[in-house]
Amino acid sequence: MTDARLLRDTFSAIGILIDEATFNLTPENINLRAMDPSRVAMVDFFWPKTVFDEAAEGTGFQYECDQPQKICVNLTELLKLLRRTSKEEAVEMSLNPETQRLQISITGKYNRVFNMPTLEPQEEEVPTPKITFKVQAKVTAYGLRQVIEDAQLVSDHVRIEADTEKLVLNATGDLMGATIELKKGSDALLELQTQEPSKATYSLSYLSEIIKAASATSEIATLEFANDMPIRIDFQQPKEGKLTYYLAPRIEVE
Amino acid sequence: MQFSRVAEVYESIEATTKRLEMTDLLADLLKHASKKIIDKIVYLTQGRLGPTFSSVEMGIAEKLAIQLVARTTGKDNTEIQMSLTKTGDIGETAELLLAKKTQSTLFKTLPLTVLDVYDTLDKMAHTSGTGSMERKMGLLSGLLARATPKEGKYLIRIVTGNLRLGIADMTMLDSMAIAYGGGKDARNALERAYNISSDLGKVAGILVDEGLEGVSKFRVSLGNPIRPMMAERLSTPEEILKKLGGRCMAEFKYDGERVQAHKNGNQVTLFSRRLERITEQYPDAVELLRKHLRAEKAIVEAECVAVNSKTGELRPFQELMHRRRKYGVKEAMAEHPVSLFVFDVLYADGEDYTLEPYSKRHSLLEGIVLEGERIKTAESLLVENVEDLKRFFKRAVEDGCEGIMCKSVNDDSVYQAGARGWLWIKFKRDYQSEMIDTVDLAVVGAFHGRGKRAGVYGAFLLAAYNQKTDSFETVTKCGTGFTDEDLAKMKEMVDKHKIPHRHPRVESMIHADVWFEPSIVIEVLGAEITLSPVHAAAMNSIRKGSGLAIRFPRFTGKYRPERSAEDSTTTAEVLGMYQNQLRKLKGSTQDKPTRS
Repeated sequence: MTDARLLRDTFSAIGILIDEATFNLTPENINLRAMDPSRVAMVDFFWPKTVFDEAAEGTGFQYECDQPQKICVNLTELLKLLRRTSKEEAVEMSLNPETQRLQISITGKYNRVFNMPTLEPQEEEVPTPKITFKVQAKVTAYGLRQVIEDAQLVSDHVRIEADTEKLVLNATGDLMGATIELKKGSDALLELQTQEPSKATYSLSYLSEIIKAASATSEIATLEFANDMPIRIDFQQPKEGKLTYYLAPRIEVE
Repeated sequence: MQFSRVAEVYESIEATTKRLEMTDLLADLLKHASKKIIDKIVYLTQGRLGPTFSSVEMGIAEKLAIQLVARTTGKDNTEIQMSLTKTGDIGETAELLLAKKTQSTLFKTLPLTVLDVYDTLDKMAHTSGTGSMERKMGLLSGLLARATPKEGKYLIRIVTGNLRLGIADMTMLDSMAIAYGGGKDARNALERAYNISSDLGKVAGILVDEGLEGVSKFRVSLGNPIRPMMAERLSTPEEILKKLGGRCMAEFKYDGERVQAHKNGNQVTLFSRRLERITEQYPDAVELLRKHLRAEKAIVEAECVAVNSKTGELRPFQELMHRRRKYGVKEAMAEHPVSLFVFDVLYADGEDYTLEPYSKRHSLLEGIVLEGERIKTAESLLVENVEDLKRFFKRAVEDGCEGIMCKSVNDDSVYQAGARGWLWIKFKRDYQSEMIDTVDLAVVGAFHGRGKRAGVYGAFLLAAYNQKTDSFETVTKCGTGFTDEDLAKMKEMVDKHKIPHRHPRVESMIHADVWFEPSIVIEVLGAEITLSPVHAAAMNSIRKGSGLAIRFPRFTGKYRPERSAEDSTTTAEVLGMYQNQLRKLKGSTQDKPTRS
């Protein structure tokens, strides 16, 4: 894990929701909080400097920033470059303060230096949704991914329900249906805390894309939700890092 | 101002079939708009983001709009397609599905303002390069996520180019006059400002800011095209000379595309008759004007004519169609070269000449144009008698021209921007035949075809334009002269302008199966003009309860994409043709006894 792929996968996971990403850089950390254009989903990303320190062992992968600043890049374009890294290669990104261009050096098997323009940073500050969650479930990222893929076979949305004993996913399509049960103590469900039984429905296209991309960065995910409220999915990151998503529910109309 | 208010007014406008009501509704909307947004409302209402000559295309195809609606509403593409089949309008589908939206958003959203909408659309239209489609979609879904169902309907219609409110310039000017000028009487001042700037938004902005006085200070400026002056028509040299006071400047009327060129130093911009930028289509014309205009800054008008690449002989208008393209311009240029015939100068080195008499402009023109093989001033002759005029006309026709233009040389012969008047009179070769002249008519309605023509339209309801009332009055129903290919093409063209009921600016006693926003113009040849109780053109001008109709109309095969609906033949012209025809008939009955 301690190579440039972590960076690539994390940026990919952010890129699921947004195209242009405005990162806040401070001497201590790098963070970003953004909503997708439809305002249905949000990503909250935070990496302390220490994430880089760990990664640095053996790869020359580190973070330096003199003063707080915002930098906005086209993630889609940046990811094209990051995808060129292979195992155990190091990436160095630096901003040229004069040209405002980002320089990306990939070193390892051979050395290459790319450069790309930065964009006007987005000023809009996205707040954290204030939600009282009633259910908290810790699952393996792999298991979560499987469950969502099952549901996606039959529908484009899924109802998630929980009581004190289990987590149930119900997907109903035009022709087919699916019920997926995760009982306490099963391989995929590591912990379940239910204050009161709750259910809510979410778009599978959002869920699957988020989970597919983010599970590459993490092995454990924590789901939190309440009746017809947004769901919060937190993917455990190294050190104090954070990669959290919020997704607004679908309102079921009969 | 919130966008919901605009959407509501649009809905009322769509519901009305009365032009006056439409004008008042719009006036009320404009009255409540601030200086900062009035231009934006003006543009959006016409389905654009700026004046025609500089507007950026929003370019959202229906396919993309479907994806957009899917993304925002949480519905899948199939459901959207099904609804679309029912409504036939992606805007309406968006409205229906937004009302049944299942996907909620993370935060409560603020209501959309006009500024939000305009700024986002403008940003979207200017997005280009790799990945621009994604970014465009992102911007639009941001808007749509905040839109009410009704707002969503009009947003989608605007971005897909389907607004179809049919509010053309004159209606907009009327509404502006009512809202800020104290009534329709203020229209003249507004019209002049509009005619020399072609930018309704700009006029509206100044009207709100500085009132009518500010508007009256408007001057011609480089880069803002001047709306072209148009000519009336008469069918005999005698009448023409009489009308113009016994003498006139006769000019070849070339069979080409009328262009307005703005030269600013080394930079030349060309505008079409409809004031669209066509600079890229004619690099050869641009080069000619750059080299052959002896003024730093100038606005001139010229006829751009296709010529035979080997002999330099003039070719008919249709050949220029090969030059209407975005790609392969170089090849088209080599195969279909053009010549320029400059015929007027409206501005030169800081001086506005539009209010100077024609003779002064004409002599200035000769000083400014340095003639070359492919650029000349239009062939002209000062004539004072009928014989000379006839000879000149004959020469023009022999040289491949449509006919001649006869221009007043009196002191009052100013350049009447945007107007059709008797200072210029055209005399075309068609008038001399037994048949009446061809007319350009706007398609306002259609009738379903039967039998062989099932699935396409069998006939079209056509209208002439009444300048005084800014309305379209039906003058004929035409189903002849169309090939199968034409019928298919017509359907595709007019269906883009389909509306659920008669357009408020259309006057018709006939009930068409399908109605259109007046937009498509075609050329029609008729056999005669008769009084008719069922057609609305020039109603009551000859006899109470009767309008004029063109009998035995036949589509000539010429589409007139270079004309807007308001450039159609006017009802006044049709009336003139009718009166002419009467005169001829009287003449021939008198002749009869001597012949028999």
